[in-house]
Amino acid sequence: MTPASASASVALRGVHKSYGRTTALDGIELDVAEGEFFCLLGPSGAGKTTTLKTIAGLEEPDAGTVELGGREMTGVEPYDRGVAMCFESYALYPHRSAYDNLASPLRSPKYRLPGAEARTRIHEVAELLGIERLLERPVGALSNGQRQRVALGRVLVRPARAFLLDEPLSHLDAKLRQAMRAELKAIGDVRHTTTLYVTHDSVEALALGDRIGVIRDGRITQTGTREEIWHRPYDTFVARAFGRPLINLLPGTVTAEGHFGSAEGGFELPVDVPAAPGTAVQLGVRPRDITLGEAVGGALELTGTVYVTEVLGRATEVTVRLGSRHLSLVAPRAAAAGLRVDDPVRLSVRPESLLLFEADRPERPGRRITP
Amino acid sequence: MTEVRKGRTAKRAASRAVKRRALAIAADGALILYFLFALFPVVWMVILSLKPANELFSTYFSFTPTLDSYRTVLGAGEDEGVPFVRFFVNSLVVSLGAVGLSLVIGLPAAYAAARWRFRGSENLMFTLLSFRFAPELTVIIPLFVLYQQLGLFDTYVGMIWVLQLVTLPLIVWIMRSYFADLSPELEQAALLDGYTRKQAFFRVALPLVKPGIAAVSLLAFIFAWNNFVFPLILTSSEAQTVTVGALSFLGGDRPKYNLTAAAALVSVIPPLLLALTIQRYLVRGLSFGAVKS
Repeated sequence: MTPASASASVALRGVHKSYGRTTALDGIELDVAEGEFFCLLGPSGAGKTTTLKTIAGLEEPDAGTVELGGREMTGVEPYDRGVAMCFESYALYPHRSAYDNLASPLRSPKYRLPGAEARTRIHEVAELLGIERLLERPVGALSNGQRQRVALGRVLVRPARAFLLDEPLSHLDAKLRQAMRAELKAIGDVRHTTTLYVTHDSVEALALGDRIGVIRDGRITQTGTREEIWHRPYDTFVARAFGRPLINLLPGTVTAEGHFGSAEGGFELPVDVPAAPGTAVQLGVRPRDITLGEAVGGALELTGTVYVTEVLGRATEVTVRLGSRHLSLVAPRAAAAGLRVDDPVRLSVRPESLLLFEADRPERPGRRITP
Repeated sequence: MTEVRKGRTAKRAASRAVKRRALAIAADGALILYFLFALFPVVWMVILSLKPANELFSTYFSFTPTLDSYRTVLGAGEDEGVPFVRFFVNSLVVSLGAVGLSLVIGLPAAYAAARWRFRGSENLMFTLLSFRFAPELTVIIPLFVLYQQLGLFDTYVGMIWVLQLVTLPLIVWIMRSYFADLSPELEQAALLDGYTRKQAFFRVALPLVKPGIAAVSLLAFIFAWNNFVFPLILTSSEAQTVTVGALSFLGGDRPKYNLTAAAALVSVIPPLLLALTIQRYLVRGLSFGAVKS
């Protein structure tokens, strides 16, 4: 058998899991390479936690298999899988001190370390997480942010074939979260341990993930690098999941010439839509891909009136009215400085930054139309 | 106008205060009456136990108090032929034995019932519960015959075995809800820390339900200690307990109520002491803070 510390690839093959009538996982397919930092992003109830627990062996899949390091794990007990997991609920032992919680893996028959070595290791991890002064306290006396760091420490303190982290930074304040994010990234690079990182925060996913998977209703909608996810989203759900302000999605139809036409927006754009005329489609454009002013050099132009402006630090979010539709864009503060409500504005957008989607249907979001 | 209104509201407030006060007094009165009613038998027993034998049937409250009854009961005075101290020890042995045995069997059973749903698990739990609501009298005759045949009649083993029917369901049912209240993620974390399921149970789950164990043990002990029917039918002398033993002072040519009263009061002591020592464990809430709220 491979040593407990050797990093392992993680794979899920057609994993189904349901609790009574609710389906938690509906055929999950996932491949995480050895040493990869993989972010799983999705709204609550999408099946993120169940996915992690299934990998850890805490939940038995109804169908499908889990593989660790290329070996099928069916029937292998959690303690023999060699993975470490950080629970969203922390799952710290409430009757012990923070130190004893961190020491727990190092006292187990599986990962036992001699006393002095264990102490050094625990203090290293505690220092890394900034919880050294809290070690003697009972976990009941810690704040949520502190508990979360202890929970993360319990994962990092031991060797593992894979780290399974369930929203490990969700309860830290913004500044600490940023610092911890950098630490985690650094740990991932140094230790080269396969990491599955579950989050509902797209910024976190983009910052950390070598690759990102978007999960919805128990299925993986798309996996890819941050560039792939950003520039070639599988459907409007993925497109909406990343980027703030949200991507603009304008409904319209394919015109007789095969262009995009928006009846409500009162405009037509000469972009070729590979769909039959009359088909309902959506045009996606990210707020940062739109600039104020005249279109030059092949860019497309739209005109509208200013609806509202909102300063976001060095940039300004401008919402423009196009017919009965609104379009938001982010402009440098200087460019948007003179804008008043109801001022007419000209907008320019590069055709290559436009995304075309099918119309959303009640049962599933509209898919992207190639290219 | 406003003056008048102010005066009226003040008056109304005053009458409300009076009403509230009257209500409080009435409530206190009712409580006192209730306590008199509830405590009277206890007071009566104490008085009875302190009366000398010749003043036993006097109907007035003045008498020369004496501890003779207690001396007799505890074997220091003249021997009345009733080995009460032995009954006392018997009660301790069989009650503690039943609770101990039930804990050893009941804690893992409660844990399993709380964590896993298996075929027939609910039926099993219901069967256990049925031990509690079926009157002991329904099984006592066959048990008597069985005990005679098996040589369990009037033995410690026999008594522990039968009292365990009383204590085990209690322990399993109450402890199941304690275990169910624990987040399973705590044991899951232990499994991933490298512990086996057995170790997760002993190292994580069990220490967290300590207050529950204390409470339910006390309750089970009291139930076993107070049980009357089983020792009445299934013991004669060797394994007889205080509940039956205290009544043996009433036998013979003349019933000795003072001795029965003293014996009964002595037999209240162990459950009382246990309740007092265990009190602080009865407070729940140790497991708060385990899981993000």
